[in-house]
Amino acid sequence: MQKPNVMRERVRRMPTQEGAGTAPNADALLQLVARGDEAAFARLYDILIGPVFGLVRRVLRDDTQCEEVVGEIMVALWQTAARYSPERGSAMTWALTLAHRRAVDRVRSAQSAVDREDRVVRGELSRRFDEVTEQVGMRREHDQVRRGLGALTDVQREAVMLAYYDGRTYREVGELLGTPPGTTKTGLRDGLIRLRDCWGATR
Amino acid sequence: MSPDVHVLTGAYALNAVNELERVDFERHLAVCEACAEEVRELRDAAARLGRAAALAPPPGLKARVLADIGQVRQHPPTVAPLRLRRPPARWALRLSTAAAAVLLVISATLGVLLVREQQSGKERQEIVAILQANDARVVTGEVDNGGSATVVMSRSQNRAVVLTAGMGRLQPGQVYQAWMVVEDENNRDEIIRTKSAGLVAGSRLDIDVLGAANAFSITVEPEGGSARPNLERKVAYFRLT
Repeated sequence: MQKPNVMRERVRRMPTQEGAGTAPNADALLQLVARGDEAAFARLYDILIGPVFGLVRRVLRDDTQCEEVVGEIMVALWQTAARYSPERGSAMTWALTLAHRRAVDRVRSAQSAVDREDRVVRGELSRRFDEVTEQVGMRREHDQVRRGLGALTDVQREAVMLAYYDGRTYREVGELLGTPPGTTKTGLRDGLIRLRDCWGATR
Repeated sequence: MSPDVHVLTGAYALNAVNELERVDFERHLAVCEACAEEVRELRDAAARLGRAAALAPPPGLKARVLADIGQVRQHPPTVAPLRLRRPPARWALRLSTAAAAVLLVISATLGVLLVREQQSGKERQEIVAILQANDARVVTGEVDNGGSATVVMSRSQNRAVVLTAGMGRLQPGQVYQAWMVVEDENNRDEIIRTKSAGLVAGSRLDIDVLGAANAFSITVEPEGGSARPNLERKVAYFRLT
């Protein structure tokens, strides 16, 4: 057990361009935002907007709707900042949880659902991580995610990606993959637990 | 709840559940610290997938968002002692006595409604049945464009009846839609979480699953109703707790 600990320390100290290294900063900024600090919000915006925009764009796959929804999400983060408490998770996780929820709500609303079925017919499904758009400066992040996803079984990986990046319910995921609902639920949990354990060392 | 309820942590953390399952599971999370902790960890893992999807945002967005936040008020923390200290008599009335007494108390609030809506005997029974529960409550709130909405509810019976009165007439092609709201503590997200769909035509609406709903809202929606509330056309919002 000695070796992984040493590695963990080293990874933590490594300077990062974005992502993990900015997390503590974002937590502190969010607490300032909770007290109505607009300058802190402007800085927090810069940290969060890339992931929030990318995730919502990924789930909605529609530029027009995406910009509107992301705008709503950023305002909601400002409004609800007082409900954040750092001991229950990072600001990034808090923001992305809210963003994902909003995106999923939108994509499941009536018209979006119709559009989405069209896409299923056209075979555009999030089964491969390579679809996630690459961006300069994100290589380390991507390597970690790819490694994590590579540790899953094929069914777990497809299930997690359909649920998260496409905003599918576990029942829809089951229908798409031909697995019963109970198995799908278990697969999503097992898959996420494996990702958690894989990434836990490099927070 | 079934013994394998814990398995839902993954699907829940990925928002891969429907609204009813969400409400049910959030009630479970409130009493199961192991699941709540697992959800926090799995959300962290999910968020890392989100970070990997990062993209450059449209250039004009930041200025618009910064302008917008100057226009909106920030919400208080979820656990707000101030809210609880508010005198309950103003809009919530706890009812725990015998049905006859209950109906007397209630008639002050609802009498007009009950008469105006000319409920059938069966419908009246439904309301009386809820009122007879030990935890029955009646919460009344204002509706912006005139009128009021009254929620008669019982958590133990897991149901509610909504009565509305005097609500303004809408333009053709629009309807009122009622929403049961869960202000989500895990997510700390302010917005309307859970709907119990159904249209308020200015009369009465039965809500079969109250779930973890702790607030009530009415919005104006296109005819046929919407899957998600249009918050810009929100005409009522009040807490049920």
